[in-house]
Amino acid sequence: MAAQSKTNGNTSGNHSDAYGKKNYSPLFWRFITLTVVCSLLPLLLVGWGINIHYTRFSEARVIDSLKNQLEHHDKIIELFINRRSYALKVIAKTHSMDELIGPNKLDEVFEVLNHEDGSFTDLGVIGENGDHLAYAGPFSLKDKNYSNAFWFKKVLENGIFISDMFMGFRQEPHFIIAVVRMERGKRWILRGTVDTEVFRSLVESTMVGKTGEVLLVNPDGIFQTSPRFSGKIMEKAPFAIEKPQKKIKVDILKDALSAKTRQIPRQIAVWTWLKEPKWMLMIRQDYDEALNAVKHANFVTLVGLHLSALIILVVTMLITRHMIVVIRQRDEEADQLNRQYLQASKLASIGQLSAGVAHEINNPLAIILTERQILMDMEGQAPPMDPDLKAQFHDSMEQIDIQIQRCKRITQNLLRFARRTQSLIEPVDLNAFIKEVVELMEREARTSGIKFFTDLEENLPEIQSDPSQLQQVFLNMITNAVDAHDGMPYGTISITTGSENSGKNVRIGFADTGSGIRPEHLEKLFDPFFTTKPVGKGTGLGLSICFSIIERLGGEIKVRSNPGEGSEFIISLPLEPPSGLKEELAQG
Amino acid sequence: MINSKILLVDDETVFTGNMSKLLTTRGYRVTAVNNGDAAIKALEEEKFDVVVLDLKMPGMDGIATLTEIKKLGLFTETLILTGHGSIDTAMEAIRIGAYDYLTKPCEIDELVAKIEGAWDKKDGAERQDIQDKIHKVVESPGSVFNVFPKDKRKE
Repeated sequence: MAAQSKTNGNTSGNHSDAYGKKNYSPLFWRFITLTVVCSLLPLLLVGWGINIHYTRFSEARVIDSLKNQLEHHDKIIELFINRRSYALKVIAKTHSMDELIGPNKLDEVFEVLNHEDGSFTDLGVIGENGDHLAYAGPFSLKDKNYSNAFWFKKVLENGIFISDMFMGFRQEPHFIIAVVRMERGKRWILRGTVDTEVFRSLVESTMVGKTGEVLLVNPDGIFQTSPRFSGKIMEKAPFAIEKPQKKIKVDILKDALSAKTRQIPRQIAVWTWLKEPKWMLMIRQDYDEALNAVKHANFVTLVGLHLSALIILVVTMLITRHMIVVIRQRDEEADQLNRQYLQASKLASIGQLSAGVAHEINNPLAIILTERQILMDMEGQAPPMDPDLKAQFHDSMEQIDIQIQRCKRITQNLLRFARRTQSLIEPVDLNAFIKEVVELMEREARTSGIKFFTDLEENLPEIQSDPSQLQQVFLNMITNAVDAHDGMPYGTISITTGSENSGKNVRIGFADTGSGIRPEHLEKLFDPFFTTKPVGKGTGLGLSICFSIIERLGGEIKVRSNPGEGSEFIISLPLEPPSGLKEELAQG
Repeated sequence: MINSKILLVDDETVFTGNMSKLLTTRGYRVTAVNNGDAAIKALEEEKFDVVVLDLKMPGMDGIATLTEIKKLGLFTETLILTGHGSIDTAMEAIRIGAYDYLTKPCEIDELVAKIEGAWDKKDGAERQDIQDKIHKVVESPGSVFNVFPKDKRKE
């Protein structure tokens, strides 16, 4: 604001500078900010909102689908184990221990049991004391005693036991299902080892994309199968295991789970606990892969969104810049009008001031002149004077005459200047009018060696204007043109008329072959009291008067000049005077 | 033309006094009046060759006076000598029928030259008029009294 008022402060002193330096960039940025706040910001917010919403929605669907997969897989695994448990129970119920430990009997049963899918690696019968009584399978475990095995006690307690993966005597990962049969007061155990490969292929059959994996972990965090990426069977899982829960749990793991081979990015994990055995089944997949389609769609929408935002911004900037240019032009036009108005009012006040002074001076001047003339007349008839006195008398008389002529020029100009108030609008035939004026001036310029040429357009329309004021202007133009030849033996003044602006304006040109106007003077040409004529010759009012008259009549004056070659003043006048002037005149 | 009769009309008595002296010195017969009414009255009573008329006067101004003079239909040329300085009023006067104009202050020689011009014009018109009248009288001698009515004005 401080800068603004400073600018305004300057206006009165040096208006042309202040107008030129008006700063439009705050306006520009205000427009831009407004556009950004009102259109871009809502657009972006809605766009981003939809994007986030869509991402969440898609995420939920992906998670649902993973959950379904998990549930399904969970059922398959449980079913697999249940069927194996059931088969063992059936065998234990339908065979006595003696039967089973009989020669080749267990092999026979094992063969029947594995007939369909070969899901058992071996089968063994264990006595109450832990002795391995019979064994069917590829290992030589017959003489082992299991009374110290971790599962042995548990199976005796529970009647059935499904172990976690363990190494056991055979030194490779496996898990067992064991059932107890009470026979004649004695307990014996039927133990089957589930084929690790069969189980693993069952568990790992669910393939989830490129990055998905299925993990089966016991409550201690030991892998029960070899997951695709995260570790190997019997190894400790590289993440904390929660307590068993019934529900399916979902999590998006943000922390990078480091495996041996690769850095795991953000993942979606769903997990649930099997009923028996208490194993945790987990499916997890890289978040990015699971939401790949969404991500792609999002990417496209976001690119589109931001691109359109950018386009809006760029277009806004272009439009705003254009607008600023238009506004600046308007402002400059307004400033121009303002300046012209200032110029006009300056002229008007000078006119009022000077008219009062000048009005009555011509009469006393005329009297002084006649007094001088009387003295001159009488001097011729009087007795001879002293020669010195006579010389001085003549010098003084000469000087009085020169000074009177000087005063006359000044008062005449001042009076012309002041007479602008008595306008009268009537039809003017410019060509006839100019002929009249030229005739008048030709007489005055007869001795100067200047020739006048006119090139007047035939059928030039009549204009509604003020003939007396126009006459002043034309006379002034021609007088100036004549004066421009000062010191030249001859010259020409060409006066032309023509239509302009498709017949809406008429143009009157005054071209001379005089001395021309220096470029630095062009700017000040129409200022009152600006003159390049020697002191006493020009008042500096002529062109000011012309300027204000033509402006008042709704026209304009242009000037072209080449120093040394001459000048051309071109006056353009409307066919009708401005409505303001008519009203002014109508009111008197 | 020596002995031409000049009527000076100007509200400035000092000016008309001085001007009378100057013109008399140059061989003119000068009458000076100070307003338009007096000028009309003088013209009705006396014959003048050239009227030197100021435009800006109290009461009836120069333009009005000129209009009145024109109404009289005399063989008199009017020369505008105005202190009002603006050419446009003078031009208006010329349109109404003034012979020419001069702006105050003007050199006596300039004025004399214009007066001479005005006299020539007036003289030419008068001669033409007389010729026309003679022509008419020759064609129809009976109309002599109508063509030459008695001029009651002083010579």
